[in-house]
Amino acid sequence: MFEHAQKAIELAEKLGADEAEVYISYNHSISADIRKTIIESAKENVSQGIGIRSIINGAVGFASTNNVSRIEDIVNISVSSAKVRDSDPEWTSLPSNAKYPEVSGTYDKRISEIGLDDCIGLTGKMIEGALSVPDVNTTSGSFSTSCNKHLIMNTNGVEIVDEGTGVSGFVDVITTKGDISTAYDFEVSRSLDIDVFGIGASASSLAIRSQNGISIEPKKTNVILHPFAFSDIFENTFEPSIDADNMQKERSSLIGKKGETIATPDLNIIDDGLLEGGIDTSISDEEGTPSQRTPIIENGIFKSFLYDNYTAGKDNTSSTGNGMRHSYVSTPSVGPRNLLVEYPSSDVIADTDEGVFINTVIGAHTANAISGDFSVEARNAFTIKDGQLDKPIKSLMLSGNIFEMLNKITGAGSDVRKVGGTVVPSLRIAEMSIVG
Amino acid sequence: MSEVGFYDVRMIDATSTSIVLDNGNIEEISVNYSKGCGARALCGGSWGFTTAEGEFDLKAAIDSASELAAQMNSISPKDEVKLKPVEKPVIKNIPTAKIDPADVPIEEKVQLLKDIEDHAKMDGVSSTSAVYSEASVKVHYISSEGIDCEYSLIRTGFAISAVATENGSYQVGRESRFGVCGFELFEKNDALALARSAGETAVELLGAEQAKGGTLPVILDPELAGVFAHEAVGHASEADLVLEGSSILADRLGEQIASPLVNIIDDPTLHEYGYYPFDSEGVMSSKTTIIKDGVLNSYLHSRETAQVLGGTPGNSRAQGYSEPVVRMSNTYIDNGDSNFDEMLEEIGNGMYLTGSRGGQVNTGEGIFQFNAEKGYLIENGEVTRLLRDVSLSGKTLEILNNVTLVGNDLKMHSGRCGKSGQLAPVSDGSPHISISKALVGGV
Repeated sequence: MFEHAQKAIELAEKLGADEAEVYISYNHSISADIRKTIIESAKENVSQGIGIRSIINGAVGFASTNNVSRIEDIVNISVSSAKVRDSDPEWTSLPSNAKYPEVSGTYDKRISEIGLDDCIGLTGKMIEGALSVPDVNTTSGSFSTSCNKHLIMNTNGVEIVDEGTGVSGFVDVITTKGDISTAYDFEVSRSLDIDVFGIGASASSLAIRSQNGISIEPKKTNVILHPFAFSDIFENTFEPSIDADNMQKERSSLIGKKGETIATPDLNIIDDGLLEGGIDTSISDEEGTPSQRTPIIENGIFKSFLYDNYTAGKDNTSSTGNGMRHSYVSTPSVGPRNLLVEYPSSDVIADTDEGVFINTVIGAHTANAISGDFSVEARNAFTIKDGQLDKPIKSLMLSGNIFEMLNKITGAGSDVRKVGGTVVPSLRIAEMSIVG
Repeated sequence: MSEVGFYDVRMIDATSTSIVLDNGNIEEISVNYSKGCGARALCGGSWGFTTAEGEFDLKAAIDSASELAAQMNSISPKDEVKLKPVEKPVIKNIPTAKIDPADVPIEEKVQLLKDIEDHAKMDGVSSTSAVYSEASVKVHYISSEGIDCEYSLIRTGFAISAVATENGSYQVGRESRFGVCGFELFEKNDALALARSAGETAVELLGAEQAKGGTLPVILDPELAGVFAHEAVGHASEADLVLEGSSILADRLGEQIASPLVNIIDDPTLHEYGYYPFDSEGVMSSKTTIIKDGVLNSYLHSRETAQVLGGTPGNSRAQGYSEPVVRMSNTYIDNGDSNFDEMLEEIGNGMYLTGSRGGQVNTGEGIFQFNAEKGYLIENGEVTRLLRDVSLSGKTLEILNNVTLVGNDLKMHSGRCGKSGQLAPVSDGSPHISISKALVGGV
């Protein structure tokens, strides 16, 4: 499919497009899936597709296909869709060719050479890890590898081909004796370096420790959020508010807050498209703007929104390299790269006299993405007493507001995790409201 | 060593168009053509899945799935998987589009969407967005058992959302309708009135009070009760989850698990958004009563789970070329014979929760969490003050047992359900239901 890019661009121009862009992605993945305690199935998928943006007088038309024989059709449609629209005076142009940074840790040759037999072996180790803890079974899980390659080419001279690899392992477990309790764990990486046995063992140990939970009284207390719990809430509340598109459409609580202190002075949040081995690391974003490191919160002060090329043009500023696509079937829109949440680390549980530790939450996607208010059910939660995890908690609802939370962070662990693109330690937040 | 004993392939040809409007401007007009297939093969107890896109080679896809299954089975041998025998599906009463959206000029669609968006604008509303989508899909299924069948379906829908702002506070109102029909969707639904209602909800919520959490009697409206039926009960009734040991409903067939007033049904034959004539295993769709008069009556099955647990297959679904998994279609709590006034009178003091911002469930432990769009206090049998950010959480089985009244005003809502990383069109619904005790969370 890659060999058709140039021709598609030329055709769009011939049909009347002022500017045109082709995005092609190719992905090859292999995975082995767990059902109960057996490795039940194998999957091998190759998918590829092409998306075309044509621009006429600032009006954008877009079409896509996974079928090489329809490429001419989609070029036609993208041009005719652009003609239907009124001219958009806020459109500047597609990104231009630039000097691209070097990134590292995004391609592991071992992953490109891995076969189904290796995947099955690693999946088996994950099950072994889980079953190394007595009275726990795996219920589902998967180990998968992927190799991907994408091309971005446009009429402003951008021509980028980037290749990357990734692996992921996850497992769900349930106790088989006594009180029913579940837990999960997962790891994702660009290299073949995840500890599959450890994923299984840690999920099982958490399920066992969560048995026979107690009820607790509603109160305001210290809450320590594991990277899984924090990133889930963070992605559904904070991330939408730093999206320049949401800001420009008046859907962000951070409008007009640039330069203001919005968090505790020890907190830094950085969007980093260059992070070594980062899940969202690449030489450019998905419309061809070079990747960069953008401070979002520096010493508690709000520094910048995230921009793609279009929203940057609207604000007379430069793209921060955040033009991202869900896949080749969609146009780029603002999306975070690797979001690093940094706070001075300590032995955070040991430093906490009283409070609650929460591993994961459910229902974070129901948060109010603009106001940042959320109310979630906490899972695998424990009381903290005199600097130690004490008793498991049966059921717990955690409510709050992300912007209030940012001002109430009082501690962080040294357990920084890559939870997808969010890179974060356990964080302690004072005076959180919990209902048992 | 086992041989490959079964294979099947789903070949899909689809065209979709979407239009996104934001604050009156066209944000995106996007068209997608896709063609490809998902093949699977069974060797002993091991499955192999593969996909091929574009102008694919059918035989190569089957061979590749077969090789994966055989390789998996030789490295990791296991008990043979048997599939419940099925008949070739009879396709009848398939919904047709009265107005094929492909025949409606794009300009007309854009204008309609602009009108819809306009109606969500009002004093207090600071921004609006609207989405229109249409998709036409042709599915062709073949299997090594000689089943060969196909259908074509058109899906059309729209969604509108309005944001209201005041003193740094933001509230959202949303409405949407999706159906297995054509452009006549806009004749059956008053899109302009729905848009107005989305705007009104956003503005009203600005003035709403924060809910105070606690354990209370509650009334759920059809939309939220439908989400409960789908999330808390429907998912736990999926036989793959039952078999893997992550359903609270395992080993409970024939048990009274809910108030005798509760009947929960999954019916893919209804012409709602979750409709299909045959599932992703080529099995003709049919209605399943999950809970009958409070008794757990049946799980939802694939051919594999139906063979193991006994039951009727027909609920195996896949997104695009992905592998089929057991899932719901159109799921609802069936009508009872109470009305809303009786519920208010019975409850006296409590909360009325309406609309849904989504929810999540842990089927293994039977615990769920949902957020209502709006809440109202019920004081002395009357609906009084509006509340915002109200969530409902608890144990599925406790809530099912705490249902004290079931209304007679069943309504369905369309949406998309996520499982195993795949999205599928579904609908869910219920009449109003009254629950004697539930954990309501606030801020």
